[in-house]
Parts: sequence; C-alpha cells; structure tokens
Amino acid sequence: MRRCPDCTVEVEGEWARCPLCGTTLVGEPVPGPYPTVPLRFSRRRVLRVLFLTSLAVIVLSFLAQLLFGRDQDGIGALRSVWLGIVTTWLVVVMAVSKRRNLAKFIVYLVVLAGGVCVYWDYLSGWSGWSLTFVVPIVCAASIVGLLITARVVRIEVGDYVVYSGLTVLLGLTPILFLALGWVGTVIPSAICGGLSVAAVVLLLTVRGGIVRHELAKRLHL
Amino acid sequence: MRRPVSRRHWVRLDNASNIFPAARSDVDPKVFRMSAEMDHEVDPALLQEALDETFARFPLYHAVLRRGVFWYYLQDSDLLPVVEAETEPSCAPIYQPDRRTLLFRVLHHRRRISLEIFHALSDGTGALWFLTDLLTGYSRRRFPQEALPDAAADEVRPGAQERPDPPPEAVGARTGAEAAEEVHELTTDSFAHYFRSRRRRRRAEADHQEEFSREAAPAVLTVEEADAPVEEAVEEPPAPRPARRRIHRVRGTRTPDHRTRVIELTMPAKPLLGIAKSEGAALTMYLTALFFESIRRTDAGAQGPPTMAASVPVNLRQFFPSSSARNFFATIRVEHTYGRGDDSPGAVARALQESFSAEATPEALEQKLHRLLRVERLPLARIVPRPVKDLLLSLINHANNRRLTVAISNLGRVKLPEPAESHVGRMLFHVSAVRPQFCAMSHDGLLTLSFTAPFVETDHVREYAALLTEAGVDVTVSAVRASEDELMEFGT
Repeated sequence: MRRCPDCTVEVEGEWARCPLCGTTLVGEPVPGPYPTVPLRFSRRRVLRVLFLTSLAVIVLSFLAQLLFGRDQDGIGALRSVWLGIVTTWLVVVMAVSKRRNLAKFIVYLVVLAGGVCVYWDYLSGWSGWSLTFVVPIVCAASIVGLLITARVVRIEVGDYVVYSGLTVLLGLTPILFLALGWVGTVIPSAICGGLSVAAVVLLLTVRGGIVRHELAKRLHL
Repeated sequence: MRRPVSRRHWVRLDNASNIFPAARSDVDPKVFRMSAEMDHEVDPALLQEALDETFARFPLYHAVLRRGVFWYYLQDSDLLPVVEAETEPSCAPIYQPDRRTLLFRVLHHRRRISLEIFHALSDGTGALWFLTDLLTGYSRRRFPQEALPDAAADEVRPGAQERPDPPPEAVGARTGAEAAEEVHELTTDSFAHYFRSRRRRRRAEADHQEEFSREAAPAVLTVEEADAPVEEAVEEPPAPRPARRRIHRVRGTRTPDHRTRVIELTMPAKPLLGIAKSEGAALTMYLTALFFESIRRTDAGAQGPPTMAASVPVNLRQFFPSSSARNFFATIRVEHTYGRGDDSPGAVARALQESFSAEATPEALEQKLHRLLRVERLPLARIVPRPVKDLLLSLINHANNRRLTVAISNLGRVKLPEPAESHVGRMLFHVSAVRPQFCAMSHDGLLTLSFTAPFVETDHVREYAALLTEAGVDVTVSAVRASEDELMEFGT
C-alpha cells in the first residue's frame, strides 16, 4: 500500500499524490475499492462554453449593426429590439461572471452600459442622448448603489475600496463632457459630477489610509 | 409465486419519509450506500442468486415511489433487481420522478458488494437487514461446505429487538384484491382509529399478515404497538430553547458533476474505543467532537470562536421494538460553542454527550414523534397539494440545514451470521450530503469512517486523519476521484 509521509496514513488505490494533502506518495500501489468514473459533465466547462458563446453572439451582434445604415430607414425599430436584447444578455453574463465581487461588477456595468449607449447613439445618428443623460445617470446611480452595497452586504473594505474609487473616477467624466460642451442639458452631468466630487472627498478622508494601502499593494512594480 | 394482479397494493409514504423526495436535489439525491468487503473477488452470478432470494423475503423492496395529488405513495411492482457492476459515481440518483424504478440497487466492484438505497424507502438499520440477508445468502452459495442448516443461520438482525421478517414459507401467502383491500384499509380508514383505540387494533392485527402492507407500514405506526407511556410523556413541557447563534457552515467548491466526494478512513476499532472511554464519552460523541475540532482547524480565524452543530440520527428501534424495515429514526441536534472554556475534544465530547443523552430518552423521543404525527393528521396538512407540500418541506429542510455544520451517523458494531461473518472484512456506509458528513460502522474489528461532502476540498478530512494519527491510531485512506485534476491524473 502507498503511504503519505506528511499525513502518516496509508492510501489505497492508484494515487500518485495523497488525496488529503497532495504530497507525493511513496510505496507500491494496491487496487482501490472504487472504480474511476469519468465525469458525466463538468460544470466549469459547461459554464465556460456558455460564456464564450454568449460573448461571441454579443460581439457579432454589435458589429453587425455597422452593416446597416445609420439613419432611420436602415432597420429602424428592429435595431432597438436587437440591441436591447443583446445588451440585457451582456449585463446578465457580466453579472454571473462577476457574481463573487459586487463592487467589481458595478464598475464593469458602468463601463459596458456607458459604452453600449454611446455606440447605440452613434448608430442611430448621434443626437447626444447618451452623453447627456445615460452616462451621467448610470454613473450617479452606481455611486449610490455602491454606498448601499457597502452598507448592506458583508464585504471587506479592501475588496471594494479600489472599485469604489474607479466608479467615482468614472463619475467625474461627465464634468469633462460639460467642459467640452458635448452635452445639451446640463443638470444630469452637474449632479453626477457633484456627487462624484463629494464621494472622492469622503473616500479620501474616511478611507484614505486603506485606499493608499490597496493602491500600493496592487500597483507595486 | 406472485400472480399478476389487477389492483396493485399501495401504502402512503409516511410523513417522516416525505422529506426525502422533497429535499432531493442534483447535489444531494438522498441516496445512501452500505458496502461490505469480501475476502475474494465477488462472483456476480452468485450475488444475483442471493439477491433474488433476499428480494423475495423483503416485500417492501418491491416498491416503486409514485406521486399522488396529496401525498407520495409506495406501490408494489413486478420489477426485478439486477446486480450491476459499479460504473456510476457512488450515490448516483435512484428516484427520478415518472421513472418507475426500484428504490435500491445492488452493485459490485472487485471485492465489494454495495447496496444503494433511496432514503425514502428505508434507513440504515433497515438497509443493514437487507444487506445482512444478501451477504448470508451469497456466502452460503460461495462457500457451500461451510453453510449451516437454515435454522441455525437464522439469527437476530442487528439493531432489532426481534427478527422482523416472516419465515420464508409465509411469503406471498396472500395476494391479489383481498390483500389490496387490507392495505387500503390500513392506510386510510383506520389511520385515525389507530391512535384512539390501540387495544382493538392490536387484536385485529393478527388478521393483517399480508407482507407488503406489514413491511411497508410506516414505522411510526408500529411504535404505537409498543407499550410506551404515551400520556405521561405528552404532559411534559418542552424544554426552553437557547438563543439562536450563527452556526458555522463549511463552504467549498462544488464537484464538477455533482458527484459525492467520498473519503474513507479505516482504522482498528479498539484503540479509538479506548481513547473515547478514557475521555469519558461514548464513541459517537467523541467522533463528533473530533469532527468539530478538525473543521475548526481548517477554517481557523474565520469570525471569532465558532458555534458548531451536528445532527445525529437515533435508531428508534432500540427504544420502541419495531419490525418495520422502513425509516424509523429521529434526529437529535447537538451543538458546541468554542471559546467558553475547555475546548479539548474530550471535554467537547462530554458536553455533547450530556445534551445528547437528555434527548435520546424514550420519553423525549415519544414527544417528538407525537408532534410529528399530529402535524400529519391536521386536516389542513392533508388537503394541501403535494407540490406545495414538497416546496414547504424543502424550505423547512433548507432552514434546518442552515443550522447545521455537519451531520454524523453511527451504525455501531455489526455482527453477521455465519458463513458471512468470517468472509466479510470491513463494512462501510455513507450518505450523499449537502454538508460535510461522516458515517461510521464497525465490523471485524475495523472501524470505518466514510466522509462525504459535495465539495472538492478535503481539508477537514486531512485534519481529522491528523487528529487520529496524532493519537496513535493507524489510518488507511481510500477516496473517490472527484476533482478534474484527480481524474486527469488517472488519464480519463
């Protein structure tokens, strides 16, 4: 029988490494009492295939939009339905793949939702609704969402503080739009910018030490 | 032999068993396995012969599980069991709705004979009866020169007060419509009567010898036959419940295809019994205390000193002599909070033993059972459709699971009739699990602890093995390959 020098136990079956601790076993193997049954399926592989197929369909759907005209005569309302479904799908895929880190998911959501809407705006003839309304509202909502998440969900400060910082920085971009005069209606961008500045101040005063610690850890060269 | 019948016998699934179809899931199909290791490679043909013989003696095992509008029920069937080589992961699902299959299977691999049972059919003790008869029948065929006369081989079944199954010649004495009426009557009309006029019932029992109905009758009914001091027990006020704390729960990575992760630790029984004795605790509670300790070592520093809880099933046949091979157990929950004094395994075991002994008395159990029966007889509980019952039961089950760290089960020392006794080495059993669990059993001087979990991680078993080897016990490990890496290493 094989023997694990670390666990000081005998091991039945043709194991190369100890099933308990992973140490390489010594001695002659004896047949084990259980047959080796191949996997019927692998949840990890099933999920990966689903993830990659979804991503491919989503990317192709976005690219396919370029084949149609940018004006209303192109495919018209059908485009809204198509993009609506694809975007929802994208958000669901992201939510599933980032389910273990809510703060990270919020950052992804802001970037993706903002990006898709700008692209959508471009496809439908660029009237500026994405920069005027969607991006500031999504950013502001995500900052509020993060504040609530940090309160309600049991989550370590170090785990969310960096992503909170990123969300807040994204929230500052509408101020840039304002400065460059890209937006028609000022109010959404102004509110979002104000909220972000307040959040930055709050983050640096209350959690300044942790932010520096996390940044030093993650950005060390 | 069994005649084809126009009307099939049926009995309803008792409330205690109803939890199993309801709590069944992909991860935990509520199947348990009991195995015996022979001293030679198993001969499938002889095993099949022995299975046919045993099967004829256990009418309950002919049953298939079916779904009624309000309750599940067991229905007699003409299906015949076939011995199979082991090709599926252990504790693979047995009951699948709408597929009429027997609720057990018999497997063999190398020197092992395994019996897998859907838990709604029977419990560990009931399964042990079946396996004992199967092993005896097999050994008698395999070693005919050692076989004793039939009468001498008829020994008391382990865990039972009396030999519960009928003598073979009585099997199938009554079949057909007549018997079906009896079953029907037993389960519906006289169900309520049963408790009000027990004496009358007991006298009438002589007329109800039909096998399926007798064997398939819910075990809780047979309790009533025992002369237990029912009335006094009910008067007792329930003990005040301690305030609820967050119970530590083990987390991990699920196995890739929901297979149960099984790891067996085999060790000589004597040294461990000695250690438990010197600590002043019964073996079961000492093993539980070691389990708590190994989990504490694995998940150290999570969130302060943890509270751990274990569910321990108790075989009710030891308190209420019963002939039923069906589920007849109650579970007792014990818990321990660390960081409040002596946390050595011995001290923990003694504390657990104390709270366990308080609950494992005929009176306390009687009370528990009565509560259970009362709920079953509530008119409202009866008219709720089965899918809703399933949902409610699975929610209750989920809530109960949240209050448990581990579950353990100890069948104790097993003695088989000859010639099986001398040809069977260690015996093992394990249960599919949603949380870390172990099942203990000893035979031939070898104690086996079969750990099961839905997780790939083996850390708590490693710590457990370490605790045992530190105490000077020789441990042998055998495990099922469950993770992708382990299977890859083997080239499958």
